[in-house]
Amino acid sequence: MEIPFVVNARKDTGLNNSKVGIWLFLASEVTLFGGLFSGYLFLRLYADYPWPERALPILPGLINTFILIGSSVTVVFAWAALKMREWRKFQVYMSITIACALGFMVLKAIEYNAKFSHHAVRISDSGPVEGYGILEGHKKKVILEENDHLHVVHKENGKYPEEAFDANRILFKASEMTFTLTRPVHDAFVIEILKQAANRDSKITLIEDYAVKDEDQIGKDGAEKTKILKAGDELTTDALDKAEDVFLTSRAHDSAIRTNFEKASWAWIRDEKGIDQPGYNIIDLEVWKERRKEDNDKLTPLMIGAGSGITFKVEPALTLILEPSWMTSNGRNADQLKLRDDTVIKGKMLESPLILGVDAIDFSFTAMRAKEQGLDPNAVIEKSWIVQEPQLKTIWENHQEWLKGETIRLARKDREPSDIDRYRVTWQKIVAYAQVKEADPDADLAKMAEEKTLALPGWFDGFAGADHYNPEMAKHFPEVSIPREKVDFESTFTPKWSTYYAIYFTITGLHGLHVIGGIVVLGYYLFFGRKMYNSNPEWLANRVEVGGLFWHFVDLVWIFLFPILYLM
Amino acid sequence: MADSVAEIQKAKKLYFFIGMLLFFFTVVTVLVATVEALDFGEHGFDEVDAVIGLLIAAFKASLVMIIFMHLNHEKPLIYFFYGLALLMAFFCMWLIGWSKSDPIQFGSPTKVDGFYNPANPATDVPD
Repeated sequence: MEIPFVVNARKDTGLNNSKVGIWLFLASEVTLFGGLFSGYLFLRLYADYPWPERALPILPGLINTFILIGSSVTVVFAWAALKMREWRKFQVYMSITIACALGFMVLKAIEYNAKFSHHAVRISDSGPVEGYGILEGHKKKVILEENDHLHVVHKENGKYPEEAFDANRILFKASEMTFTLTRPVHDAFVIEILKQAANRDSKITLIEDYAVKDEDQIGKDGAEKTKILKAGDELTTDALDKAEDVFLTSRAHDSAIRTNFEKASWAWIRDEKGIDQPGYNIIDLEVWKERRKEDNDKLTPLMIGAGSGITFKVEPALTLILEPSWMTSNGRNADQLKLRDDTVIKGKMLESPLILGVDAIDFSFTAMRAKEQGLDPNAVIEKSWIVQEPQLKTIWENHQEWLKGETIRLARKDREPSDIDRYRVTWQKIVAYAQVKEADPDADLAKMAEEKTLALPGWFDGFAGADHYNPEMAKHFPEVSIPREKVDFESTFTPKWSTYYAIYFTITGLHGLHVIGGIVVLGYYLFFGRKMYNSNPEWLANRVEVGGLFWHFVDLVWIFLFPILYLM
Repeated sequence: MADSVAEIQKAKKLYFFIGMLLFFFTVVTVLVATVEALDFGEHGFDEVDAVIGLLIAAFKASLVMIIFMHLNHEKPLIYFFYGLALLMAFFCMWLIGWSKSDPIQFGSPTKVDGFYNPANPATDVPD
């Protein structure tokens, strides 16, 4: 079939069909990204926390901007080569375009990876304002020692020890656990608990028989119960499944009987007693209460009545290492844990600090809240746990010293430090303060700030953020043990952390998908276009022009994304 | 749009020049954001920086649209499609900016009582 108007223009529009199609598509793309930019504007204008200004490392964004601009030039050169019937040059320019697109995605992946491995912790300071200080950094890896203490470990030959785990786990000495059968037990929890028990030679066994009446024994005097699980049986997912099945059957049976009795009672009170009133009036009547009591006496022997929970003992008591997300924050108590599937673990909560290699301190939110309440932010910050912690206190004091000099320097230009200067200590500053103090403990940071001689790490020292894998840099990031009760919220820099990262990942993610789409389309022209070039080169030129228009649009979006996300 | 070989050769020079211009203005944007001597308005990021950054971005985007996407040679139908979409996008953003001045939600005048006064801060912070 011959497709019309792929090369020649239609008389009515003056355009070939593919041109009309791509521009309609691009118009829809403009509204899509316009909506997302509006979303960004909304979140920023209405943010109830200090918006992270210039929070992303500029260098990867800048290189990506150069890459996209460069590829915009090469894609239009590729089109020009086809128009001039230079197949070889077309191949070269299109290859460069695709290589640029791949380079863009590689840099994006590096940037995303840095966000996924970088952590932030809100420190709960039940102080005078409803705010929180933020510590940023990398979670350490730890192992559990015999005395239930955590020991930080480092990579050896590029690997952590096998038993190492992230230093944000809840440690709990478990002596008993009760599984609820009213909702499905989450197998992943049980499997992990069993794995840990096996590793530490603990046994988890049933305390009492789990037994129920058989259906044919119902209503009989002295009916014997069948043991579904026996006391001493070991915990397994199969055992729990078995108990769950029996409980659900029992519940269905008992509910049906209870419903039948209730129906009969409603009929009796309406027909025999002549009371025909709404239910909410009847339940308060004495006659109804008496009838229900009689019903209950008759019901009990007819029901199976399987227990809704089964309890296991743990011998010897086992130190469980659990992910905080396994339980809600109010499900953690000194002597009891409640998991999300309603499993209750009894025992003793152990010290479960979150150990972080701190690379930034941020009091912007505390300062914002303090100002709203008419309080001096510094006076509020002084009461925070963060500045009580010795290593962080040193950093904060160094920062105050630097700020003193910076304030004098800016005052000479009739300016003053921004809130970010005042309340956020970046990784660059932590490194710079530490290096200066290491070289000369008496160094005057205020004077250095005043004279602007403090050398901060450059863009290449931390390409996508603080480099914790570089020992020379990482040694300046203090290893801080944050008591569990001080951890209000912790997250990586993902949408969970803030609306800023939510919109950042949404827009850049969607843009990245467009780049991948561009690679596929342009790659198709490059690798499969020869046949068309031989038969109808103008058609291929038109196709490349259309693909190029899409690629320019991808560049266009990035031209706005770069300043908005990286520089503002 | 360039069609003959001579015109295309000429156009290639223009494309290259526009590419260089885009590189140049990218560098300018970064310098304005990072070099203190080029930091207009307040110290650090503020509205002036936002306006400068967005104006440069809008200029760069215009170059891409007009030259690379050949909008300087397009038919009225394309202007109609694209113009309508741009109008829609700007309207969405304007609507959000406008909502910020909503007197029903935010009240008028702005609450100032009890707000932190740097000249007279409350340093006696309760525990």
